[in-house]
Amino acid sequence: MALVLARKGVGRKGEPWSALPFLLPAYGLFLLFMVLPVLEALWLSLHREDLFGRGREWVGLGNFQEVLARPEFWKSALLTLKFALVVAPLELALGLLAALLVYRPYPGVAFFRTLFFLTTAVPTAVAAVAWGWFLHPVGGWANRLLAGLGLPPQPWLTSPDLALYTLGVITAWAGVGFTAILLTAGLQNIPEEVLEAATVDGASPWTRFFRITLPLLSPTLFLVGLLVVLKSLTAFGQIHLLTRGGPAESSMVWIYRVYQDAFFNFQVPLAAAEALLLFLVLLLLAALQFWLIGRRVHYAA
Amino acid sequence: MRLRKLLPTYLLASAYAFLLVLPLLTLLSASLRAEGDLYAPGLLPPHPTLEPYREALSRYPLPRFLLNSLLVSTAVTLGVLATSLLAAYALTRLRFRGREALFGLAVALLLVPGEVTFLPLYLLVDRLGWLDTYAALTVPFMASPLGVFLLRQYLRTLPEDYFDAARIDGATHWQALRHVALPLSAPALGALAALTFIGTWNMYLWPLVVTKSREMQTAQIAVNFILNEEVARWNVVAAGAILVLLPTLIAFLLAQRAFVRGIALGGLKG
Repeated sequence: MALVLARKGVGRKGEPWSALPFLLPAYGLFLLFMVLPVLEALWLSLHREDLFGRGREWVGLGNFQEVLARPEFWKSALLTLKFALVVAPLELALGLLAALLVYRPYPGVAFFRTLFFLTTAVPTAVAAVAWGWFLHPVGGWANRLLAGLGLPPQPWLTSPDLALYTLGVITAWAGVGFTAILLTAGLQNIPEEVLEAATVDGASPWTRFFRITLPLLSPTLFLVGLLVVLKSLTAFGQIHLLTRGGPAESSMVWIYRVYQDAFFNFQVPLAAAEALLLFLVLLLLAALQFWLIGRRVHYAA
Repeated sequence: MRLRKLLPTYLLASAYAFLLVLPLLTLLSASLRAEGDLYAPGLLPPHPTLEPYREALSRYPLPRFLLNSLLVSTAVTLGVLATSLLAAYALTRLRFRGREALFGLAVALLLVPGEVTFLPLYLLVDRLGWLDTYAALTVPFMASPLGVFLLRQYLRTLPEDYFDAARIDGATHWQALRHVALPLSAPALGALAALTFIGTWNMYLWPLVVTKSREMQTAQIAVNFILNEEVARWNVVAAGAILVLLPTLIAFLLAQRAFVRGIALGGLKG
């Protein structure tokens, strides 16, 4: 059949003009709003406005040199790393616990799935406000729960030593639904027979979890962990709503620094250079993720 | 017997779910309290009232903010579905030189994190004169590399025979797209729609920088605005936040399957 059609011209080599109207909407938008801005960011980062305004002069890598020489930049980069290191393990652990509780069917599982996956439906701003109230110095439950345990109240968002970690917990909480969904799918892909065989051999639930489930899940865990890191590197809304990068710049993460430098300090070329450097980091992580997915698909095939 | 075996699961799952949902419950509780009861202990408001909602709605144009979010999210979702399906159709059913390269470009663009291009995108939108318009909030996001990628992969799994049959009956590519590809890719389109809708509804940084006037702000930015205005009146802030949460929550409860499938598929990207 296909052969006949091919001779009739369906599969002929040249259909470029009939393909164009199909491709133009998507690829036109890609070109205009994705490729062009990246190129422009590159162009911007290589120029600087001259002292008296309008013109721009070529400064080569000057902006990058200046950014890399600023202690604030390195402070932000370090804060971002710290933030990711708080968010990723916490979100993975919380998501894994949720996934373990709902990946197998039992009466009522749909109810718990809904509750565990719920945070995917909570907009960032709402999550931030909910936590803002939860952590409220007077009315918040967090300090009340601490008081119940006989512990002193904590300045969750107002102490420079604590704010970044608190924001990390909030970010992990907001991501639980996302992580739980991906890990539930990962757990469901582990062949049941392997676990049954281990049960027959007399393995305890703990042994089964640590010796079989966890090793078999580890590629998925790593991949999801990478995704969580990628997301946490561009977390913005909750920081903007709750701390504005403070107190004392203690939550001024990389992406917030770009925003601050571009829209408040009006240092667009420097901000563009900062954005491109962040872009580079994200690109490397995303490429790693792709390579891993490719390898896993290869294994599965 | 079976129940006894499941009891630990039920207990653990209930306790964990309660703790996870607790911040939302305390927010809901605050939204139902008069100002005098705001700091009264307990999860249940002592004298439940809808006054904070009335006040939030009378002091802020919340319906307008929600309508903006709804318009923007719907427009972006429809745009992404249309542009992705069109491109995916060409990438699977049409043969032309450079087809694989174009697909490769979509895959490469998957790697571009949108959050990082906001600055040059802002300058571009400014030059186009789009600041503070719906165009700025929608047009740049109406094509999605993830959408093209997912639908192309999905269309490839559809049996050739359907398309061959359509061609033998004399259908044009447009007709094959409309009557064969479109209905057959409903599950993939549903998942992509859920993913795109919630992603757009959740946008924060972009609407924050491109909207200037109150009337153009989306629900998310409105939450920030209310929080800044109502410094100590958390009941009104909470009521506003709950009103912003409701639409996505309802959408999630109604279309949970599509959401879960969308996230599981889109997990490739995140």
